[in-house]
Amino acid sequence: MEISGPDFIKGLAFLGAGLAMGLGAIGPGVGEGFAAGKACEAVGRKPEEAGLLTRTMLVGQAVSESTGIYALVVALLLLFVV
Amino acid sequence: MLDVFSYVKACSLVGAGLAIGLGAIGSAIGEGLTAGKANETLSYRPELAGEILKTMLVGQAVAESAAIFALVVAMLMFFTNPVGKPLLAAWAFLGSGLGMGLSAIGSGIGSGFVSATACEGIGRQPAAKSAINSLMLIGASITQSTAIYGFLVSLMLLFIGFPESADISRSFALLGAGLSTGFGGIGPGIGEGLTGSLAVTAVARNPEQVSKVTRTMLVGQAIAESTGIYALIVALLLIMVV
Repeated sequence: MEISGPDFIKGLAFLGAGLAMGLGAIGPGVGEGFAAGKACEAVGRKPEEAGLLTRTMLVGQAVSESTGIYALVVALLLLFVV
Repeated sequence: MLDVFSYVKACSLVGAGLAIGLGAIGSAIGEGLTAGKANETLSYRPELAGEILKTMLVGQAVAESAAIFALVVAMLMFFTNPVGKPLLAAWAFLGSGLGMGLSAIGSGIGSGFVSATACEGIGRQPAAKSAINSLMLIGASITQSTAIYGFLVSLMLLFIGFPESADISRSFALLGAGLSTGFGGIGPGIGEGLTGSLAVTAVARNPEQVSKVTRTMLVGQAIAESTGIYALIVALLLIMVV
């Protein structure tokens, strides 16, 4: 099989896209799950503050999500720009 | 000199090994955590042996399902007939094995967390056992979703038709699809398991608040799922678009 330079570079960019999104998804997944778990614990203890707790959980998870979105952006760049 | 047939066959066997080898890790850890907590709880509440054993077995069955997906993919790859398949199929087999095996790790561990605290919760609050059991089933099933994404991508990689000759970049794209959905499944699986386990603990402490806790758990798990969905989308783009 003939392998040309640009084709090889493109192939490794695709591999990099898979690795970026795959590994980049680990951290936010665990972190957001942990935040949500603690929020559940807190709602169980103080159910009358459920609104406040859910809001705080969502803000915290949004921040935690950011690295996952960076990974998605980098993966899409590697897919379509390189 | 290696011919295409031997190359594809060899890769299908490596893929089968990767799928079930990696896929067995998470379920085994999760089930072990559940059994450990069940034993610990039984040491101070031996009179609840029947209830706790039942919850433990149901929880372990849910955790096992990720490994069963991996076993199915491994068997499919083991018995597949590579005659006439192009070289690209070899890369698809490797991607398929990695995608299924890695994505099963998170789901197995995550659902083990949920059922472990369910056993503990029944020991603490036997009256709330039906609420605890149903919350455990919901929480643990949601952790399985990323293993299901992995299963879906693996089946696509196994059965999709490939052109006879293609650029080398397409090969790496298929491998990347498996890696994306595989690694991307680990985090959401574990995270949703943490959420489910703390939600079960909260209900065991305060069973009247089961609806509020369930709602918070579902919202939180939906957000933890998001990165798994990004990984699935990137995998589908790598298979279909590029």
